[in-house]
Amino acid sequence: MIEFTNVDKVYPNKVKALQNINLKIEKGEFVAVIGLSGAGKSTLIRCINRMHDITHGSLIVDGTDVGKIKGKEIRNFRKRIGMIFQSFNLITRTTVIKNVLVSFVPQLPFWRKMTGLFSKRHKLKALTALDQVGILDKAYVRVDQLSGGQQQRVALARTLAQNPDILLADEPIASLDPVTSKQVMDDFQRINQDMDMTVILNIHHVEVALEYADRIIGVREGQIVYDGPAHDVTEEVLDYIYKGKAEEVKQEMDEEGVYV
Amino acid sequence: MNAIEKQLYAKPRSNVYIYIISAILIGLIIGSVFVIDFESMGNSGWTIAKNILLGIVTPDLDLLLNFTTQGVMYLLLETIAIAFLGTIIGVLLAIPLAFLSASNVVPKPISWITRLLLIVIRTIPSLVYGLMLIRVTGPGPFAGVLTIAIVSIGMLAKLFVDAIEDLDTSIFESMTSIGCTTFEKIRFGIIPQLTAMFLSIGIYRFDMNLREASILGLVGAGGIGAPLIFAMNSYRWNEVGSILIGLVILILIVEIWSNNMRNKLVRG
Amino acid sequence: MFDKIFPPEKIVLPNGKTVLEKRSRTPLLFIIVLLGTFLSIRFTNFDFNVLVKRGHEFFVIINDMIPPKWDYFPSIWQPLLDTIMMSILGSTLGSLVSIPVAYLAATNMIKNKVVVMVARLFLSILRTMPTLVSALIATFIFGLGTLAGTVAIFLFTLAYVGKLLYEQIENASLDAFEAMESIGMTRVQAFRYAIFPQVLPNYLSTSLFCFEGNVRYAAILGYVGAGGIGLLLNEGLGWRDYASVGMVLLMLAITVFLIETVSEYFRKKLI
Ligand SMILES: Nc1ncnc2c1ncn2[C@@H]1O[C@H](COP(=O)(O)OP(=O)(O)OP(=O)(O)O)[C@@H](O)[C@H]1O
Ligand SMILES: [Mg+2]
Repeated sequence: MIEFTNVDKVYPNKVKALQNINLKIEKGEFVAVIGLSGAGKSTLIRCINRMHDITHGSLIVDGTDVGKIKGKEIRNFRKRIGMIFQSFNLITRTTVIKNVLVSFVPQLPFWRKMTGLFSKRHKLKALTALDQVGILDKAYVRVDQLSGGQQQRVALARTLAQNPDILLADEPIASLDPVTSKQVMDDFQRINQDMDMTVILNIHHVEVALEYADRIIGVREGQIVYDGPAHDVTEEVLDYIYKGKAEEVKQEMDEEGVYV
Repeated sequence: MNAIEKQLYAKPRSNVYIYIISAILIGLIIGSVFVIDFESMGNSGWTIAKNILLGIVTPDLDLLLNFTTQGVMYLLLETIAIAFLGTIIGVLLAIPLAFLSASNVVPKPISWITRLLLIVIRTIPSLVYGLMLIRVTGPGPFAGVLTIAIVSIGMLAKLFVDAIEDLDTSIFESMTSIGCTTFEKIRFGIIPQLTAMFLSIGIYRFDMNLREASILGLVGAGGIGAPLIFAMNSYRWNEVGSILIGLVILILIVEIWSNNMRNKLVRG
Repeated sequence: MFDKIFPPEKIVLPNGKTVLEKRSRTPLLFIIVLLGTFLSIRFTNFDFNVLVKRGHEFFVIINDMIPPKWDYFPSIWQPLLDTIMMSILGSTLGSLVSIPVAYLAATNMIKNKVVVMVARLFLSILRTMPTLVSALIATFIFGLGTLAGTVAIFLFTLAYVGKLLYEQIENASLDAFEAMESIGMTRVQAFRYAIFPQVLPNYLSTSLFCFEGNVRYAAILGYVGAGGIGLLLNEGLGWRDYASVGMVLLMLAITVFLIETVSEYFRKKLI
């Protein structure tokens, strides 16, 4: 479970990226965070695995007080949270399987770290992860020979191999075409349902968000302005999130009894 | 000024450059025609040219296919050994220098001094190094190895630096999110990227060094150069022919191999 | 080939699927490099002890070069000028002649395979000949002096620029070329108006780049009597007059640096 209580995030350059965030995400939820560019979506997601420090408030992830841990504790904590990026962030000049194996690096004994030789057990796990996203046949192909969608799946496999409890994704389909996007989103959905993994993703494609996510969080200027089930999101709500016709929508939502 | 006007005014300017270059060039060429001394070619020139061509088309096959220490094969092998070992030592020396001159690794003053040092090392011609190193090792292939190592450093280090500054650091972000330490990021994030590049650069330089090593014999630093010059100086053109044929074939083979390898390394 | 000798390993996943893992080539590569190094050490009498014991001799010479003999300057500038002029003339002529040769070596311009092959073989052989060797041969034919050096540089430039040029011609778009041919131009005319403008900037930049390298090469050609500043290097080193050698090298370094800077500036403008 992820619980934000009165969280603020101020960047060193005084930008208030998050203000008074209160949020509770249960295990196994599929959450999409939407909002304008610069609204603070990435910041929100990156606070969860401590890629960014929060300035104020408390953030508890599966019983760990994220703001209080340091050094090695942070690294151990991060192993339980997988993260996917818009630009895939793969080592393009090596094979697919080597990229997936990277997720085992923190747990290797010293000599394996030096030689870069992975055990059979790890290789099997990596291959299984690749099988889960359907690119087992590409295991020994170099990453730069894959399409964007396939590369994002390699990144997904790398995260799965980590066997995390939570999967964070920062605009995972922003560099993909619609068809490939759909395939990758299907992967996310399957992982969420089959493995009961919490999935939180930032996304600019509202229709996709509404189609796949159970819950939508709307962020505007560092604040959560909408939080509710995907099927309750109306044109007005989107207008509110993206343009900010605050009063009208608020009224409507109060009437409908949607929580803000 | 809108984009189209900008475009309009931008075009003639690049032509101005071409005119300037052409004017300078023509001036220099006219100047150089006066400097080059065309008188030196004696009447015997054509006869010698004919003899050389004859020698090359009727090479001394015994020498070419001879496997003793006097034969072309052995000499080529020695040349390869000089180039190979020289390249390896050059790479080993160039790697630390490359990191020392990468401005994103060390402070500015250090990187500047290292770069200056590399420029100086690069401008001294290989034959000069050869002659200097013979004082250290005595004549022979050993001097050749050291010469090749030193002349390679400049270019190797420069290309290595480019590779280092060209690193894709986005992988760091994801390794951070996995929980990797800095050492682990370097070992599994940087080294796999660099080895392919460095290997490819090393192979490229080996190809060049082979050519370089084939002339070091001129100053007594081993390889096939010395016998080539002896043969020329004593007008034994058949021998010259067989040495040149061996050399050209070897260099062509190595060039093809090196291009293939580098394509594989860089493109996969 | 490699996979036949070391067959790929079969990995069976828990769910029964199998993957073939090719054996890593790294160990083999490692062994080859190690073996090559070992053999090369044997072949070249490489001896680390000598290096440790006598390495300082190298620096003795460098020490003698500093400070350089400043008043040697008047006798340097003429050969230095010769060297530059040799490079300019050789590079220009070489670049010019490379155009027709590259035309002949481009498969999309010349349909006759034999012509293409001969042109390419010619370029390859010229390119593999070390400049110093061609200079040496040239001194036999053209006598000692700058002409021999110019010829050597000319040949190398021809080969180098020629190769890059024919590769570019082959990559150029043929649309305009075919259009011009269809309105009745000859192939050469169509080449002149459709292909050449496409490859021109790159061609000029390659030629300039080659010229930069040629200045370096030209500096040592004098060593075999092919004119230019190499002659002074040869003399100075022969007489062990290292202060003069130092001066020559200093002038050379400055010249090469200036030429590279200027030429690089123009190359950037061109592309
Ligand atoms: N490292 C940083 N240092 C300073 N300010 C930052 C930093 N990262 C983001 N910001 C600022 O914080 C605010 C929120 O940024 P964030 O990246 O979270 O937005 P986002 O919603 O993810 O936008 P996008 O959709 O463009 O990715 C922006 O105003 C941004 O300029
Ligand atoms: Mg973002």
